[in-house]
Order: sequence, then structure tokens, then C-alpha cells
Amino acid sequence: MESILSNLLLGFQNALSLTNLLWVTIGSFLGTLFGMLPGIGPATGIAILIPLSYGMDPTTALITMCAIYYGAMFGGSIASIMINTPGDASAIVTCWDGYRMAQKGFAGKALATSAIASFVGGMIACVMVVLLAQAAASVALKFGPAEMFALVLFAMTAVVTLAEGKLLRGAVALLIGVMISTIGIDGQSGVFRFTMGIDILQDGIEFLVAIIGCYAIAEVFNGYSELNVVHEIDVKKIGRVMISKEDWKQIWLPIVRSTPVAFFLGCLPGVGGSMTSLIAYTTERQFSKNPEDWGHGDIVGIAAPEAANNASSTASIIPMLAIGIPSSGTTAVMLGALMMLGVQPGPMLFEMRPDVAWGVIASMFIGNIVLVFMNMPMVPYIAKLLALPQKLLIPIIVCLAFMGTYMMNYSTFDFYLLVLFGCLGYVMQKLDIPIPPMVLALILGDTMEKTLRQALVATDGSPAVFLDKPIALVFFALAALSIVYSLYQNRKVERKRKAASLETA
Amino acid sequence: MNKLEFAGIALLSAAAVFSTGACAQEWQPDSTIEIIAPANPGGGWDLTARAIQRTLTEGKLVKKNVIVSNKPGGGGATGWTYLKGKEKNGNFLAANSSLLLLNNLLGSSPLSYKDFTPLAMLTTDWIGIAVKADAPYKSGIELLEALKKNPGALTIGVGPAMGNNDHLSFIQIARKFGVDTSKLKWVVYEGAGGDILMSLLGGHIGIATVSVPEMLTQHKAGKVRILGITSDKRMELLPDVPTWKEQGIDIVFPHWRGIQLPPGMTPAQIAYWDKVMAEVARSESFKKTIESLNGQVYYKNSAEFTKFLEEQTAILGPLTVELGLVKK
Repeated sequence: MESILSNLLLGFQNALSLTNLLWVTIGSFLGTLFGMLPGIGPATGIAILIPLSYGMDPTTALITMCAIYYGAMFGGSIASIMINTPGDASAIVTCWDGYRMAQKGFAGKALATSAIASFVGGMIACVMVVLLAQAAASVALKFGPAEMFALVLFAMTAVVTLAEGKLLRGAVALLIGVMISTIGIDGQSGVFRFTMGIDILQDGIEFLVAIIGCYAIAEVFNGYSELNVVHEIDVKKIGRVMISKEDWKQIWLPIVRSTPVAFFLGCLPGVGGSMTSLIAYTTERQFSKNPEDWGHGDIVGIAAPEAANNASSTASIIPMLAIGIPSSGTTAVMLGALMMLGVQPGPMLFEMRPDVAWGVIASMFIGNIVLVFMNMPMVPYIAKLLALPQKLLIPIIVCLAFMGTYMMNYSTFDFYLLVLFGCLGYVMQKLDIPIPPMVLALILGDTMEKTLRQALVATDGSPAVFLDKPIALVFFALAALSIVYSLYQNRKVERKRKAASLETA
Repeated sequence: MNKLEFAGIALLSAAAVFSTGACAQEWQPDSTIEIIAPANPGGGWDLTARAIQRTLTEGKLVKKNVIVSNKPGGGGATGWTYLKGKEKNGNFLAANSSLLLLNNLLGSSPLSYKDFTPLAMLTTDWIGIAVKADAPYKSGIELLEALKKNPGALTIGVGPAMGNNDHLSFIQIARKFGVDTSKLKWVVYEGAGGDILMSLLGGHIGIATVSVPEMLTQHKAGKVRILGITSDKRMELLPDVPTWKEQGIDIVFPHWRGIQLPPGMTPAQIAYWDKVMAEVARSESFKKTIESLNGQVYYKNSAEFTKFLEEQTAILGPLTVELGLVKK
């Protein structure tokens, strides 16, 4: 314990130097900006800045990059809340309640909730990094393909629970998502699947394109139908950016509950912010007293996933620092840049360069504070966007959606996909098929299939491989539980509906 | 290139020679030099391009400005197609790597080295085969013996796809030892190096075939044991790991990176750039940059590079067909 404190002290000495303070602020600001713009995620943001880092001290460089990373988690939710377009993949979940809340006139509150939840989640995660970095890293190693498959399966079943009362429709959406995720070259065998002779499809469909299409473009279609409606938005109401005591009472427990889980999931390779925020969302919804409000602007529906994605982004630097292995695209870019600067992250970093390792950890505390102070005053200005007439707002959304799409792969083919998914999203809305299960199946389907096949290689295809994996079995049990739970809920809703129709009859 | 075209180029270059007068043999870039990195900043191609740019500028090896332009997309195709369009223009260069060769052999890209003028192989990573530190195999041969007895005894992690350097080099090594490679159990990780190592450390796979820089720290920390590397001689960074050659398996397999010019270069243009690139490969600052990335400078000039590409095509082409990796 004492050594941790003295190390942390060393870290703060390093992180509080004027240069590092300056860079953590710049990094946080840029991160928020990158996060806000759809298509530019933290990985791209950090990559753009690599040339800048060449002359830097390694600690400063790493501090800046980390600040961009968690800054993007703050920023990603802004676009979700304001225009129903996730600025970053991990902010999809925030669309569901954030955007609805903004539509109801509580944009300020939604943005504030997101910033506060991100802050608290981030801070708790920082403390956990200090105390648990090594332990978490070694537990993460226990997750092989079999365990990952079970985890993803659990996440998938959790999604279906979101389609409350519409279990069948939810399952249909889920399967559409899984089907789309199989498009492209199959990595294990090299076979082309469902590419229909279109070369560009061999890399598969970028799920962010599908997401931006289903949310932003579909929203544009919706907005178009009421083009001349002028929303009377009370600017004073938007101006109120703090959350009330009652709100805080509602969200503190979900935040505190979601963070440790998200922290741990974030350490695992290949588990990004989108999966952790989703798990936080579905879990908290099951704890909620009024789950029927979720998806229509529930404040906890913003707080839980936002705390979770910050915690998981903070945690994802653990494998990089403690084992020297990047667990996500973003940390892989960081690792490359660090090696350029002559720092070799890995098991020996904490011993050889404690100033770097602890400096970075200390800087994350500072960065989170900087971010919350930077974001809160911005809220009223951003929220005023909603006062723009539809005639202006729609072109802005279209522009951002197309720009973001292009930035991902620099491929114009993605524009067709974008519009196609926009239509699909619109039709699904009209048919009352929930979109979230499809989107999440798209994100996770690929991982689910790969991990299953990776796991099965060892036993020549026999599912016996799962039997001696206790962690996997636990997740299977949870998956089964969440299916039973949704069946139960489904029946409850059916019964209610019947009762209601009887009454009216 | 047909004869007529060739004649045209010859005429054009002759015209150029005459118009520049006395110092006719010399060719010089006549405007800003653009090095294309066919990927986003931060990747291998980008880092190579920037290392070259820095060396050219700092060492004053060229008289014009040098810029790096990132043209990501299509696994390199976007940037390379752009270069292909700059036919005969010696002011443009592009970073390349073994992916150019392999993607073409595997049928996933129509672009081949023949569409360009290979200029120089500059750096390489070597590929290592590793097991977890507590595995019983102490040498490459012991591991191969075990696989010869039972090819399915251990699962092998490879990524990001079958048919890459790491996969093909392993197959070649195993075949030379007489292992039945059709029975090997491959586990493909799309995340490549990082995911594979996490899985190896966690005991979820038995063997990893990964480029050496990605597992160097793990080896030095005693977490994994690299049993053999595909280099021609031992690496300075890894004095304790023998090459496969030393262990009696005659194979050298670089995961190379280099640079290419547009198609249709004149001998004078190639000669100019050959001289400059030799300087780059010799320069201390270039060596330092590459070594900080755990890579190694490995220079071949334009003629040697072209010959190497032909040889590799001759070996790997039939191999990828035989393994059923080629898409129609």
C-alpha cells in the first residue's frame, strides 16, 4: 500500500508539470472534439497526432494520447444526444435514451448527466487502475476464445431483453444483424461470403456505417416528413444544465454498479466500449423499477452506459501498460507511437520507467477533472443546436453522417450502404421492429462467430471444449437466465395487454 | 509493356536527355517529392514513409522538399493505384511491404509488383515461433518433433488471416522438417499479434507464429520462449534465440518493407534513386528510427529487390495454390 502511495506521488509530480498539464488539457479538448464528430474515433484521432508526438517526452506523449482516448468517450455522447448519431461506436447506447430526452426538451440535463457519469465512472476506474492493474491484467489472460464466446453470447441474449413485449421482433432484428455481420471474407477459411461479386464487400460491412445509417439517416427521413414544423424549444429550460438532487439519487447507484464490471470487461482483448456500455445498459434496465421508461428518455439509461464506456476505456490501457499487449485498436496505435519514442511498454515498464507508468495513471485523474470542467460550461451552447429549425438541422446531420462515413474507410461505396441502412432503419421503425438488437448483433456477431470457431479448433469441432471452462459456463448460465427473464417479461406484457383490451371491450 | 510503348518511352527519355544538355545522364527530381503511405498515420507503411522522409530531409540527400501523403484504403490499393497513375514520374514514391506480393498471390488484389518499379527493400521484421515459457519444448527441433509425431497436438495462433507471412513461413519450416502440415490446427486471430500473445500467455493456444517485435518484451520478461526465427543470422536484440538455419532448417523469411516508384521509370531515374536509397539505408538516423521500432535495416537495391520478388513469387505462388488459399 505504501509503495503504491509513493509511486502515485511520483506520478503526480510528473503529471503536474506545466507541460504535462498543458498537454492533458489539449488532449482532452481534442478528444472531446474527435469523439463528437461521427467517424473520427479515438484511434484515428491519436493517429493523426502521432507526427506531433515525435519531439515529445514519452510521458507527455502518452498522457496526451490517453487524454484523447477518454476525452473521446466524453465527446461521443454529445452527438448521440443531440442528433441521434453516435460520435463514436461506444456511444450508440447513449442514443437510445439521450436523444429521446433531448427531444423532450431536456437536452441540457442529458448532456450534464452524460458528463457527470463519465467523470464519476472515469474516476472510479482510475482508482481501480491504481489498486488492481496487475491483478486485472492476469485475470484478463484467463479469457480465451471459449470464454469470450460465452461472454458475447450473454451480451447478445441481453440485447433481446431490450425488446420488451416484442420478443419475436427483437429476435428477428438480432438475426438480421448476425446475417449482415457474416458478409465478407471468412478469416478462418478465406471463403467469400455473401459478397455477391462486389469486391468492396470482401472486407465486410463496417458496422459504424450501418449504425449511422440506421440512426442518423433514418432520423433524417423522419424529420423530413415534418420539415415545416418548428419546434418551440424553451431556451431557458435548455440553459439549465445541472442535474437535480433527485436525479443524482437516481443515478449514483447505477454508476457505481456499472463501473467495476465495465472496468473489468475493458481489460479484455477485443471488448470495446460498445459492448461494455451495452451490458451496463441492459443490466441496469433489469434493476430499474420502471423499465418501460427505458428507450424513451430515462436518465439512468444515459448515466450507466456513459460511466461504463469511460471505465472501460480507462481499463483498456492496463493490458498495454502491464503486459505490453494492446487490447484495442486505439491502444495498438498508442503502443506503436510509444515504441517510436523509445519506451517499451510491458511487464518491465513499472520497474524500469515508473515515472512514465505512474505519470500516466496520475494524469488520468487530472484529465477527468479537466474534462468535466471543460464539458459542463459547453453544454448550454451545444444544447441550443436543437433550437435550429429542421430545415437547417437536417442538412447538418446529413453532412456529418456522410463525412463520418467517408472518414472511416475513404470509400465512396459506403455512401450507398449508408443510404441503404437509412432506409432499412426507417422501414424497421415503421414496422415496429426494434433497431438496437440488429445493431448490436452487427457489432458482436463477427466476434461471436470467430471466437466460437477459435474455441472449437482445439477439440476438432466438439463443443466439449466449453465443459471444463468454469468462466464460460457461468456466462452460459447468465445467458440462459436472461432468455428466461425475457420470456417471463414477454408474458407479463401480453397479459397486461390482454387485460387492457378486455377493459376497453 | 508493348514494343511501341517502349519505343515511345525511349524517344521521350531521349528527348529529355537532349533538352537538359550536357549533364544528360543525370536525372533529378524536378519538384516536391511525395512519398505515399497507403494507410492511416501510425501503421507500418506510414512509419516507414516518415522515417525515409526524415532521413532524406535531415541528411540533405535530395534537393527538393519531401512530403508524406497518407492515402489509406483497400489494404493499400488506394495509395498504390494513385502511384500507378503517376507513370514515368520520378517525383512519386510509395511505401510497400510483403502484403503487396501476398495479396496479389492470394487473389485479393489485382495489383502486383509488376505494376510498379520496385526501388528498394529497406527494413524487415523477422518471424518467430514461440511457446509459453512453461512449455516443455526447449528448441525449435523439439517442437517440430512433437508436431511430426502428432500434428494436432498443439493449436497454432496466426493472424490477421491465413496466407500471411507468419502462416506461410511456419508451413515452410514444418514441411522442411517433414511435418504433415495439412493436419495442423490453426486458430486465426483477426487482431493479430496482440490477441495471439494474450491467448498464448493465457494458455488458450499452444504455439504462436508472430513477428518478433510483437513478442520481444514477452520473451525478455521470460513469459514466452521464442524457439526459432526466420532471419539469416541471429538478431542483435535476441542473442539467445537461434535462427532456423542454425537448427538445420534452411529457410530465411523476411517480413519486409520497402519502397517503390511508379511504372515506366528510365534507367537514369532508377540509378538516381538507387543511389539515394543506398544512402538512406546506410544512414545512422534511419537505423536508429527503425531499431526503435524493433525492426532491422535490410537493404536490397532495385535490381536485387526485383529479383527477390520474382523468387518469392516462384516459391509462394504454388504454395498458396496448394494450400487452397487462393481466391478465384
